[in-house]
Amino acid sequence: MPKVKVPRKSTAVDMTAMCDVSFLLLTFFILTAKFKPEELVAVDIPNSRSTKSFTDAITILLNKEGKAYISLGESLTRLNMLDQMVEKYGDKYPELKNLTPTQKQFFSKIETWGTPVSDLPRVLSMNGTQLQAYQKQMPGIPIDSANNQLADWVQASRYATDGNIKIAIKSDKDTNIEPVKEVVKGLTSKDIHRFLLVTTLSGPGASPTPADDEKK
Amino acid sequence: MAEIDTSGGGGKHKGGVRSKKMSTRVDLTPMVDLAFLLITFFMLTTTLSKPKAMQLNMPKKTENEKDKQEIGECQVMNVLLDTLDNVWYYDGLQVAGLQKTSFDPSGGIRKEILAFMKKVPNECPLTSKGAKRDAIVLIKMLHGARYKNMVDILDEMDITGCKIYAIQEPDPIEIEAVENGGTVKTFNKDVVKEDAK
Repeated sequence: MPKVKVPRKSTAVDMTAMCDVSFLLLTFFILTAKFKPEELVAVDIPNSRSTKSFTDAITILLNKEGKAYISLGESLTRLNMLDQMVEKYGDKYPELKNLTPTQKQFFSKIETWGTPVSDLPRVLSMNGTQLQAYQKQMPGIPIDSANNQLADWVQASRYATDGNIKIAIKSDKDTNIEPVKEVVKGLTSKDIHRFLLVTTLSGPGASPTPADDEKK
Repeated sequence: MAEIDTSGGGGKHKGGVRSKKMSTRVDLTPMVDLAFLLITFFMLTTTLSKPKAMQLNMPKKTENEKDKQEIGECQVMNVLLDTLDNVWYYDGLQVAGLQKTSFDPSGGIRKEILAFMKKVPNECPLTSKGAKRDAIVLIKMLHGARYKNMVDILDEMDITGCKIYAIQEPDPIEIEAVENGGTVKTFNKDVVKEDAK
């Protein structure tokens, strides 16, 4: 009687195909991932149920104290914006006209901006480390109605992109409403009427509503 | 395809010196584990960092009479936001019957807005063109209100489906009313602007 040989089969599965797929996905996610740029201005944005996402926007940042900053992704647009502002404020602050091309290039590399126009030449002649220290305590862009430079910056960005830019307002949830109103008022006076209020999606673990606070 | 034959080619006996064949296959399981871990990480970081935004349109100043809308006292609801996260509301154009509520999803301002929206088309007189009126909500944020409240009330507008709303500056009389806890002490009908009616 010949022995019947039962071929032994291992339970191990060939992982090659799975490995291929997973690395393909991994490559995709690595390439599409866009890391958050380093946030110089701490802003804790409020929740809402809005699910609209946006791109290509100039962001107005308002921190807890109501100081305004401006943030933009495109460096070429920034260069254009600076030229617009120099043209606008050149008569008031003549030293702006003496900005060198190197200083302008330096400006185009700064992502978050929060300095009055009069201070531009001083900040742009700083070196890298000085700037880093300065960016931690930027004074903010003036937004009061007498000297609303923020509106001028936003308008400059509109000119620089032929109007193809959205305006996003990213404000801390504890910011007083007055600076927000001031910003909106300044921009409506420049004929800008559409805004995006940056929010996060409120999940099930959303922060308690004021009503819950009261019950406690 | 689905499994690795680990029997080392044991099925074929064709004589000759049998040298032990080592499999060239490597166990890929840890590599797959690692890859999936990284995938999960990148998936989560990309979707979470995407900011959402809420559209806010402010009105244009218009001198054109045609663009102006006829507003009846009956269709207006005023919502006031104060510094302590409270919501105050009253109907009509005169500060009377100011009531305090909250952003509570079940019994707060949402319920009031929904009730008001249901009431207006049925109870208000028709416009001069014979159309039914829709509810209009005027949002007024008192000095010192938080930005979060503004986002919350705009969210409520979206939830209730209220199409017509406007953000306005509060009148001094409204500020006073809220400070007095809802009662209008110095309220006088003549104080209310005539053109508001």
